[in-house]
Amino acid sequence: MTRWTNSADETQAVSPDITDETNALPADCFTDPDVWELEKETIFANYWLYAGHENCIPEAGDYFTRTIGDRQVIVARDQEGEVRVFYNVCAHRGSKMVEDTPMTDPGNMGRIQCPYHLWTYDLDGSLRSTPKSFEEASLNPDLDDEEVSGLDPDENGLLEVQTDNIGPLIFLNFDDDPSLSLDEQAGKMKTRLESLPLEEYEHARRYVSEVECNWKTFAGNYSECDHCQANHQDWIKGIQLNESELEVNDYHWVLHYTHEEDIEDELRIHDEHEAQFHYFWPNFTVNMYGTADGYGTYIIDPIDEERFQLIADYYFADPDLSDAEEEFVRTSRQLQEEDFELVERQYDGLRSGALAQAQLGPNEHTLHRFHRLVQEAYET
Amino acid sequence: MTGPFVAACVDCEERREATDPNEIVRFYRRHQSVTGHDVAWEQTPSLGVASDDVPEVVSSLVTDPEEGVPLGELSAAMSELGWTVGETLDAVYDHRMRGALWEPQDDYVSAV
Repeated sequence: MTRWTNSADETQAVSPDITDETNALPADCFTDPDVWELEKETIFANYWLYAGHENCIPEAGDYFTRTIGDRQVIVARDQEGEVRVFYNVCAHRGSKMVEDTPMTDPGNMGRIQCPYHLWTYDLDGSLRSTPKSFEEASLNPDLDDEEVSGLDPDENGLLEVQTDNIGPLIFLNFDDDPSLSLDEQAGKMKTRLESLPLEEYEHARRYVSEVECNWKTFAGNYSECDHCQANHQDWIKGIQLNESELEVNDYHWVLHYTHEEDIEDELRIHDEHEAQFHYFWPNFTVNMYGTADGYGTYIIDPIDEERFQLIADYYFADPDLSDAEEEFVRTSRQLQEEDFELVERQYDGLRSGALAQAQLGPNEHTLHRFHRLVQEAYET
Repeated sequence: MTGPFVAACVDCEERREATDPNEIVRFYRRHQSVTGHDVAWEQTPSLGVASDDVPEVVSSLVTDPEEGVPLGELSAAMSELGWTVGETLDAVYDHRMRGALWEPQDDYVSAV
């Protein structure tokens, strides 16, 4: 029975069994500002999150910034060619150091310097130099210069964030001692993606959209295709939905959309005759298309409980797109716009407060896995 | 000053409609942070701005100097001269650093 707000039946935790009627998150998990505050710590500080693409910072000193919730990091390539991630926070007194710098327009710096008191760090995060005023006590009558101990470069460096890669895709984890390795969180998605030549493709397009709904609403919409027949009529041409499959794993799920047989093999990266949409918990997707020799990624970044940014990046062999590739991107954008309409409409309904707990259908098992992961995160 | 206020990215198609002009400023910051793009106003109430002297425009808009003018309202006004949100915010920063403007509250400015 549907759990309306005025129902005698109270909301319950997401049931492990998808056939139970309480198989979805309570509606207030999507609308309550306190829940978003909780998610910053329980979801966005504990799991592996996508930071960006290595190909965008090929040279030593190349960098970009990435903001996740209240935290901002610098993603930089050091002198040894290793990509490192640091909090964008000076070790002196906590000032933000570098300006917001998008991955699509990266900066380059020989060293990282805080503009406040000019503390300067090497690209490996160690403290390189401080102004003379930190080495002597000329303004302090109670202290002799000899009493000033020097700052150990290794003990006063930047706060580094755990990183790991899947091919050219950089991930970070804000937890100093993550309970899961990236390999464990990604499971066979890592093996699958690393078998593909993702690093041979260059960033070609970025589209950023602000959408008026909770980030989980869009995540749920991405994760099922029961809505496709009615709402994506252009996109499903050439897709055999009845032969498609939604595969669920521990922290990722894959939507396999079978294409009709006449698509050329050159028009996709992978071998299978299908599009593969990978959702990687909590908020990242890799979109392996069935009809384009390229791939895309989505970052579903919350702004607050009722808005998110969708950062859609497209990668092709040549960033100067052919007419056919331009048309492909246009169709993809149309698909996004159709989904934005759907999720904003759903969110309008959720925000009304009428529904206390939704219920999922048997083919929304990917979404059920997502809701279970959200609940598990809240419980930690 | 009442909306609606509408602005759009000058490089891509992203648009934002708001009743609070400072929401357009926040939108610009979020969008610029991940794209590097600037944002231009599409729809604002006409304020008849005829000067590109930002402190002078601030003085003409302010009703209570202790409260200041919302940055979004100032940017909407400067858009009558073709200025983008980014251009207005850069000019405001320069004038603040030169002592011609001050910020009585977050994202509101007054002339000194």
